[in-house]
Amino acid sequence: MIAVEGLSRRYGDVAAIDGISFAIQAGEIFGLLGPNGAGKTTTLECILGLTEPDGGRIEICGIDARANLRAARAKIGAVLQATGLQDKITPREALELFAAFQAAPLRTDSLLQRFGLMEKADAAFDTLSGGQKQRLALTLAFVGDPQVLVLDEPTTGLDPQMRREVQEQVLAVKGSGRAILLTTHDMDEAARLCDRVAVIARGRIVATDTPRRLMAEHGGTLDDVILRLTDR
Amino acid sequence: MNALPHLLAVSLKLNFRNRMAILYGYLFPLIFLVAFWAVYRNDPVPLALHVGQFLTVTILGSACFGLPTTIVSERERGVWRRYALMPVGRWVFVAGTLLARAVLLLTAAALQLALAFAFGLPLPAHPIDLFVAFAAASAAFLAFGMVIAMLVDNVPAVQALGQCIFLPMLMIGGVAIRLESLPAWAQHLSAFFPGRYAVEAMQRSATGTGSAAFDLLALLLIAVAGAIAATAMFRWDKSVQPRRGWLLLALGVWLAVGAMAELRGPVTIGHAQDTGAVGAPKDYVAASKLAAPSWQVVSEADIDSIAFDRLPPDEGIISPVSRSDEEPDPILLSQLDRIRDTLPVWGPGNVADPVQRARNLLTIAAVPDILQMEQVERFAPRLVFARLQAVIPPHDLPKILYWIAMHPDDGDDAAVHQLGVFTLPDISGPSKPVRGRVMLYALKLLGRLSGHIVAH
Repeated sequence: MIAVEGLSRRYGDVAAIDGISFAIQAGEIFGLLGPNGAGKTTTLECILGLTEPDGGRIEICGIDARANLRAARAKIGAVLQATGLQDKITPREALELFAAFQAAPLRTDSLLQRFGLMEKADAAFDTLSGGQKQRLALTLAFVGDPQVLVLDEPTTGLDPQMRREVQEQVLAVKGSGRAILLTTHDMDEAARLCDRVAVIARGRIVATDTPRRLMAEHGGTLDDVILRLTDR
Repeated sequence: MNALPHLLAVSLKLNFRNRMAILYGYLFPLIFLVAFWAVYRNDPVPLALHVGQFLTVTILGSACFGLPTTIVSERERGVWRRYALMPVGRWVFVAGTLLARAVLLLTAAALQLALAFAFGLPLPAHPIDLFVAFAAASAAFLAFGMVIAMLVDNVPAVQALGQCIFLPMLMIGGVAIRLESLPAWAQHLSAFFPGRYAVEAMQRSATGTGSAAFDLLALLLIAVAGAIAATAMFRWDKSVQPRRGWLLLALGVWLAVGAMAELRGPVTIGHAQDTGAVGAPKDYVAASKLAAPSWQVVSEADIDSIAFDRLPPDEGIISPVSRSDEEPDPILLSQLDRIRDTLPVWGPGNVADPVQRARNLLTIAAVPDILQMEQVERFAPRLVFARLQAVIPPHDLPKILYWIAMHPDDGDDAAVHQLGVFTLPDISGPSKPVRGRVMLYALKLLGRLSGHIVAH
């Protein structure tokens, strides 16, 4: 569903990512793990077309995303950091607006129901709790019924209950056969959700495997593995 | 997929939920309109000569603050970053935002015009031309508003940069303060600000005077340059640095348009003068001795002693007089006709004492001048001069004019309060300034009669 090969991006003399390659199958959750500045977000931004890579190939559901970005985007739903909505828009209005940008959107009411937002459907965005806002972000990513989900630290800043709620939603999505690419700093979350993870350091992937095998190979927890592989 | 109409509808809905946006978008233009009405309350036709000005203020407010504030605040909170992930072209989001702004602007202008009509503004002479001029001015300023939005990172910076554009345009760009009231250097400077062309294009459509072709061309060039620059500087995310070099294109066209205007012909209107004291009779006498003992014995030598070259110019704002080949705005014709028709039956203009009669008649020229009643102050003196020549024997008139000029504080000035029949307002406060203007107009007619002033 997602194939990335030899992806690179430089900012001046600094290589933010350098030769990143991985592939994600349908029904798989793939985690990109690594310290801040390792190149996780740059990788996601290249895949989403927010940053133009200097080189490499990106394929989404068989579509060359660099050559046909708009068609590729129609297959992707994304939750990014530092995205928000207008204070006075309601979840229903936001979903209807984002549905208008999609060719075959899902029904607003069914999405509100599915993500537990029906009660807040007509409340202003600035009156929602942090967890509700994050759930709305996830709901918005689903409007176009995407085959691929890209989630950049989707549970950061949430309380344990909300974090668990979002994780359950992600697992439910996996069950529906979609491919999910996520980044997280929460290694428990990565171990719980991800089928495979790639450890990224200084713009390069230094290891790719299941969390269990990585821990077995390198010893300790997933945190220990990351620290060891990234020389921290 | 119906992205554009949906985005337009949501943008409008959100705008109407924002109290500050309503305040800026609708209340602010109405407050400006009332201010114009209050400042120019003595105009013969309320607001008719200021349509271009108050509509330009509304467009400027929307372009310098409303549009960029919306875009920058949405970009700051990551709304545009989210839009960037959608499988539609960026033009949809830009067009939706601009269209919403255009709708808000059009409704604000309609509201402003409705209130202006309630104040007595007549219907525009060429409504379609006015709409075209309004659209061109909106395009020019909204394109620049987009440039501001792409340039700055946060809302306080929009306010700061917006004020840097808005205030100079208002003060010395011919938008809030009439060009005629500005010194020559400021009038030259105003040619490099687009506000001047917006005001002129809309005013010409409203009052039906002159061609707005150059103004429309200027606005179109500014709009195209702004749109190109804003497109090149576009960014979804504030973390991306804008390509600031394109700002030079947007501002370069302002300079090019100003240069074109300067090359095309004079950009100054009249000579700006101090509206303060007009001086005493002795300031206009070349010889040392003042006046004869009575008006009957005024001699040619006395008249020759006047330094007519010291009088304010006819095209200035103190004691102006229109040229003989100059046509007034059509909206003024009815008032000028009324003055002409009423002069023969006006009591103070027919009193027995010829000196007082002349003094009273000159008041009709002096009062509109004091009140700076735009064109009335320039055309009324010609009617008064004609009437004076009709009711005072040609042999006496120069002597009487000389006498009045040399004795501005003599005689009765009750006529100042009897101008209502000409639809001229009463003036309150000391009548000394009126007497000063009576003196100047007496000298201007005297100069014409004696051949010292060759009027065009």
